[in-house]
Amino acid sequence: MLKSEPLGAPTKGAWIIAATIVALQLALSVGLFWANSIAEEARGRHVVDVGAAEASSQSYFQLPDAAFRPVRLPREGCCSSDNLIFRTHLTAEDAALTNPSVLIVSAYDNALIYVDGELAAGFGRTSGPPPNMGRRPQLLRLPHNMVHEGAVVDVAVQRIIGFGHLQPFYIGEYDALYPSFRALGFLRHDLPLFNAAIGAFVAAFCFCAAPLFGARGLMLSLATLGASWVLQHIGLYQTDPLWGAVANNGVYFLGFLGACICLPWFFIEWTSVFSRARPKRTAWLAVALDPWDATARRRLAIASLATLAIGAALISWRLSFNPAVASQDINRVIGWIGLLAMAFCLVRIVAFYLRPGSRDPIAASAFVFVILAAIADISMVRFFKTYGVFLGAAVTFFPLALLLSLAFRARGIFEAATATAEKLNVLVTDREREILRSHEEIRRNERAAMLLEERSRIMRDMHDGIGGQLLGLILQARSRKLSDQSLVSGLEQSLDDLRLVVDSLEQGEGSLTGALGAFRGRIEPRCEAAGVELDWQIEDVGTTPNIGPDKTLQIYRILLEACTNALKHGAPKRIGVLLKRDGDRIEIALTDDGAGFAPGAVQPGRGLANIRTRAQRIGAHLEIDSGAAGTGILLALGA
Amino acid sequence: MTQTPPRARVAIVEDDAILREDLARVVTQAEGLEVAGAAETLAGGRALLTPGLDVLLIDLALPDGNGVDLIREARERIANIKIIVVSIFGDARSVVRAIEAGADGYLLKGAGEQQAEEAIRTVLGGGAPISPAVASHILNRMRERATSTRDAAPDAPLTEKETAVLIDLAKGFRYKEVARLHGISPHTVADHVKSIYRKLAVNSRSEAVFEAVQAGLIKLKD
Repeated sequence: MLKSEPLGAPTKGAWIIAATIVALQLALSVGLFWANSIAEEARGRHVVDVGAAEASSQSYFQLPDAAFRPVRLPREGCCSSDNLIFRTHLTAEDAALTNPSVLIVSAYDNALIYVDGELAAGFGRTSGPPPNMGRRPQLLRLPHNMVHEGAVVDVAVQRIIGFGHLQPFYIGEYDALYPSFRALGFLRHDLPLFNAAIGAFVAAFCFCAAPLFGARGLMLSLATLGASWVLQHIGLYQTDPLWGAVANNGVYFLGFLGACICLPWFFIEWTSVFSRARPKRTAWLAVALDPWDATARRRLAIASLATLAIGAALISWRLSFNPAVASQDINRVIGWIGLLAMAFCLVRIVAFYLRPGSRDPIAASAFVFVILAAIADISMVRFFKTYGVFLGAAVTFFPLALLLSLAFRARGIFEAATATAEKLNVLVTDREREILRSHEEIRRNERAAMLLEERSRIMRDMHDGIGGQLLGLILQARSRKLSDQSLVSGLEQSLDDLRLVVDSLEQGEGSLTGALGAFRGRIEPRCEAAGVELDWQIEDVGTTPNIGPDKTLQIYRILLEACTNALKHGAPKRIGVLLKRDGDRIEIALTDDGAGFAPGAVQPGRGLANIRTRAQRIGAHLEIDSGAAGTGILLALGA
Repeated sequence: MTQTPPRARVAIVEDDAILREDLARVVTQAEGLEVAGAAETLAGGRALLTPGLDVLLIDLALPDGNGVDLIREARERIANIKIIVVSIFGDARSVVRAIEAGADGYLLKGAGEQQAEEAIRTVLGGGAPISPAVASHILNRMRERATSTRDAAPDAPLTEKETAVLIDLAKGFRYKEVARLHGISPHTVADHVKSIYRKLAVNSRSEAVFEAVQAGLIKLKD
């Protein structure tokens, strides 16, 4: 269903939707960015400059002040150890607070707060393997009895996520810090969870829909992208997962790598599926800008999944020793891969939208933004050591724009299909009419040919029968050899023949049984007049499609001739007519008990010659048997 | 027949003068028959349709129209009139059309005096002459009607006996032979044939009505 159909010029509606999406994305991004910066400015003392020490043990020991080096948070180039302690001292104002509290802005680490070497507040284990705190900021109350001016406050962090350096934290009144805590919770935890849910939906939908649509690669890349996004969030948001913080880091990195690979995969699919072939040009330009053919895309899919698998293996291997440092390294490498991938995507997608027939403002509005947001977020983490917020905004609208764009395309395809169907319909109707017309023409021609044949047959019959008879009468009358008696009988013969012609036409393609029945109607009066009894033995022979009007007429004439012969020369008492069927053979017999003749010896006369010729003409087998007991004529032919 | 009944009055409608005169001669010479009038057109024939008429000899091809119309009219206007079609070929198509219009029999033009007289007497005596070709034609018509999807069954279907008789008549068997084959009297065979003729006429009338309704010529009350 999904295929390259050149888009027309974008409609006004498409532009409006695109503009709306861009506006919403910008508004949300600006809002989130603003909220992020505001949230990080809590109403309290911003602790930026602290002392830092790396602990050798997973348990907390109060170290002397000499062990701490002054650092500025967030700290650059951290760290060789999992266990870090940041030290600050409470001021007089801190000590005077009603509800003295500490707001830990950075969210990955468990932060245990010790006052004068005693555990005062915090979540998570006090010793053992480092937990993962699920990206929640922490607002911790300090017990009153422990708070005094100059008290030593140690924030012990069991670091695991290498890039999440402890951000500057705040010491202040609990209620004053609370709004920031709430806002940070929303920004860092609640909103990303919502985005993860969107990613999960997209992944599930695309996995299920991939077999249904034409563009499986496209759907699969999108599904894998969604899955990567979800995987990243699972890695980030699990609170002290059962499989351990290190493995959880691996999950996050795999998701991150997946996103970096699947986004280019998806964009290559998108810009190829919805493009038309272009003239070839330099290989590297073509790879970057031009649509990839189906084979190349299949290879890309395999390569992407293979890269993910190799990446997963490398990540596990690197995390297997010194995970804290490894995490920083891996994160840095994937960050760079991501930046390169996004740059590639940006170039490719912009080139695609600049191409005529590809201008789809709705898709562009979200796609360009998602790439920019990814670049911005990676950069923010990488270079500004703060949290990215833009992908969150982009992800909210990305699936929406995607769906809208696909819907617009589908509508275009349906419209095109409908138009094509209508065109086909018209074509089919035209052809049908043409076929009908030619059919009618053929039928008319056939009919005309049939009529012509029938007409020439009747002409032949007339010539053969009545014509010759009348001519004979005329010639005899001219030479005055015609008696009144012969004139009447000759004319009667002519009329009889004419009536036989009519009868043969009436019988048409029916049965020979009826045809012979009609024949009896014709000869009966003559037999009666001669006092001859007709022995009529007619069997119902069923339909005889092979015996048409012409053959029927010939049979009539043969029988009439035989009858006339018998009446004229044999003086019989009885004439028998028999009709029967033997399989496909029809047998007609005419017998009389008159004086016969010797078939070979005496000249049989014109009558018999006529009978032979007619039988031959209709392909019938003829037997004539004559003797003292009478004459028999047997006619056999196919039904 | 042995008593002397009043002579049967015969009207002749035939456009060919020789044939008309020949028929008139046959009728005049026959005992118990007399010529009530002769006409050569449809209009002239119509004028001959008077209540006392017993027999109408009519040709189908008349100069001012088809004799079938006059047959229908005569059947309606004169009770118990016997109508005989005079045909040159005796072809089944035209004879059956005449029977459907109400004719009782047919007579071949140019038949001998004896045959012509016999045909008239047969019809007068309540007989129904039928040629094998006509029987065959009627059979075909009945079969066509039975298989036609438009009209499920004729109003007056032939009985089994009638059909059997008709089949044998179509084979060329004569009344006497048919009677022997079926073990009935020749008279019963004639009765069957008359019944067949009547049904043919009834069916043709209802068929005409049906066709007229279909064509919108007649409106039935709903």
